[in-house]
Amino acid sequence: MKLEAKGLKKDYTRAGKSGSVFEAVKPLDFALKSGELVEITGRSGSGKSTLLSMMAGMLVPTGGSICIDDMDIYAMEEEERSKLRNGRIGLIPQGNTALLSLTVLENVMLPFVLYHKEPPPEDRAKELLMKVGLFDMKDERPNALSGGELRRMAVARALLMKPAVLLADEPTAGLDDANVELVMELLRSAADEGASVLLVTHENEARKYADRVFNMAGGRLCSN
Amino acid sequence: MLSLKNLPWRNLQGYAGRTAALVFFSMLMAAAIFGGSMIVSGVLRGLSEAEARLGADIVVTPVDANSSFDAQTVLLQAEPGYFYMDKGKLDEVAAVEGVEKATPQRYMASAKAGCCSARLQMIAFDPETDFVIGPWLKDSNLSEMGLMDVVIGSNVTVYNDNIIRFYDTECRIIGQFEPTGTTLDNCVYMNFETVNVLINASFEKRLNLYEKYSPEDVISSVMVRTASGYDTERVAADIRAKVGGVSVATAKNMVSGISDGLKRISRSITFTAGMLWLIGLFAVMLLFVMMIHERKREFASLSAMGADRKVISDIVGKEAMTVCLMGGAAGIFFSAAVLYSFGGFIGNYLGAGMVVPSTGTAFVLAGLALCSSLLAAKVAARAAVWYIFRTDVSLVLKEGE
Ligand SMILES: Nc1ncnc2c1ncn2[C@@H]1O[C@H](COP(=O)(O)OP(=O)(O)OP(=O)(O)O)[C@@H](O)[C@H]1O
Ligand SMILES: [Mg+2]
Repeated sequence: MKLEAKGLKKDYTRAGKSGSVFEAVKPLDFALKSGELVEITGRSGSGKSTLLSMMAGMLVPTGGSICIDDMDIYAMEEEERSKLRNGRIGLIPQGNTALLSLTVLENVMLPFVLYHKEPPPEDRAKELLMKVGLFDMKDERPNALSGGELRRMAVARALLMKPAVLLADEPTAGLDDANVELVMELLRSAADEGASVLLVTHENEARKYADRVFNMAGGRLCSN
Repeated sequence: MLSLKNLPWRNLQGYAGRTAALVFFSMLMAAAIFGGSMIVSGVLRGLSEAEARLGADIVVTPVDANSSFDAQTVLLQAEPGYFYMDKGKLDEVAAVEGVEKATPQRYMASAKAGCCSARLQMIAFDPETDFVIGPWLKDSNLSEMGLMDVVIGSNVTVYNDNIIRFYDTECRIIGQFEPTGTTLDNCVYMNFETVNVLINASFEKRLNLYEKYSPEDVISSVMVRTASGYDTERVAADIRAKVGGVSVATAKNMVSGISDGLKRISRSITFTAGMLWLIGLFAVMLLFVMMIHERKREFASLSAMGADRKVISDIVGKEAMTVCLMGGAAGIFFSAAVLYSFGGFIGNYLGAGMVVPSTGTAFVLAGLALCSSLLAAKVAARAAVWYIFRTDVSLVLKEGE
């Protein structure tokens, strides 16, 4: 599946001086092919998360378009776009994204139950938890997990629906080297199985898994 | 097993403290609505019951200058009492034009130290001409009363099943009337022969103020039914003019004298219940939005997983509905328990007659209270959904932890 951004930009109106806008993402063109893993690095505040949110169909751009297989996702209805994200885009947002009332296993299965009446794929969820090294904690509440464990849980959850596009915002933040390796291996093998993977990270380690690396600075995307 | 259906319930369990607070406030709301409307309809029911029970259009009582009580209201709201006039008044009243039926009644009060904790009003009727008590007996499926037979009002409690003693004289209880919510419920009903025996017994015990009378020669009141085609007020005025030494009241005035007071009480109960409901609504809304605020990252995560607006609104709506219905049911249950066990006390406290409404009415009012809980749930859910989508949910996720 091909993910393509054309003239994509995002302005935020800044509080304080009325009418002043801040260009978080300056107009950019960018394409992500199936089977490739692209890494974006950049300083804090450079617009990486903003770009990723727009790619995921979560944040309406100020200008330009994002197409998945030549379909403009922001031309779709919100409902259709959400279903597309549920079925085909695995998103790993920054920070903690667990539902506190559910167990770790249930959190991982959650994307499935949103639009399916059938019982969730417990075996697949357990297998993914095994891969991220959290199988023993499957019945714990998220409160019992460390920050790094929550990140790995989010990775497992994003992979549940076998997404064609995987968008990961600092999935390795707060992980030790062994776990960084583990998560990177997972993302790489997702790409090898045909997914388009976009990864935002500060990790130098990641470079060796990436097909292409971009740097983001002041809302501009430059190829390295 | 996890499903979209049980997700709202799981969420509520996960935030048990907040959920309990929400249930508490929606309980308060339902209790206010249900309890308030039950009391108001109970008061109104008592009123119409009392009017029907009075059974006469005009009540003629003696003018008693020394009397500490108002003879006209003794039947409906005063302390038990008794007063007599010459029985010749009956014929004088019956002779007035427009009087279709006239029947005498004779009253007596039990001594304080009698059977019961409070003094009881005794009301005796003349079986020959009676048209007031007879129909109640029929309505209550009770047989004719014989000598020393009595029927008791709903508030009269008897410790010994079938026997009640007045002035050391035994009476047989043959039945009990339904409540009216007025002092009629504190009365004991009997025929003339029986009350005469009791009055004589009170003379013997020197417990009667009116020893100069012989009971056979006096009556306490004349109950009048106006003939059709005659205006009750006009007939009452005629009696007032033609019969000396009596006080004449129409049933309408007697009841409406009470009903003005009751209407005031009903209004203030309605107002209080309404205020409580609004306070409850405000609290539920605030607490619910606070709970949603605490969880806004969770909703943003759901959105990141692909939950659309509708899925999220449904989850929020079901959560609100669940707490409000749970609270609503509990509120109705508790206020029903209180009303059914302490209805009489509540009536006394309000200084009004109150008859707990019929089961059918209670169900309708409970349904209304539940609907009001659902309304509160809808309002709270609306506010919460608005709050969630007030800003772009993706921005929540960028805020870090
Ligand atoms: N709602 C908003 N209103 C105004 N400005 C915003 C808003 N959200 C983000 N910004 C600004 O946009 C810029 C880009 O934010 P973004 O979150 O994309 O950065 P980032 O590259 O992901 O940073 P980090 O590495 O810290 O996550 C930042 O300078 C931020 O201050
Ligand atoms: Mg970021």
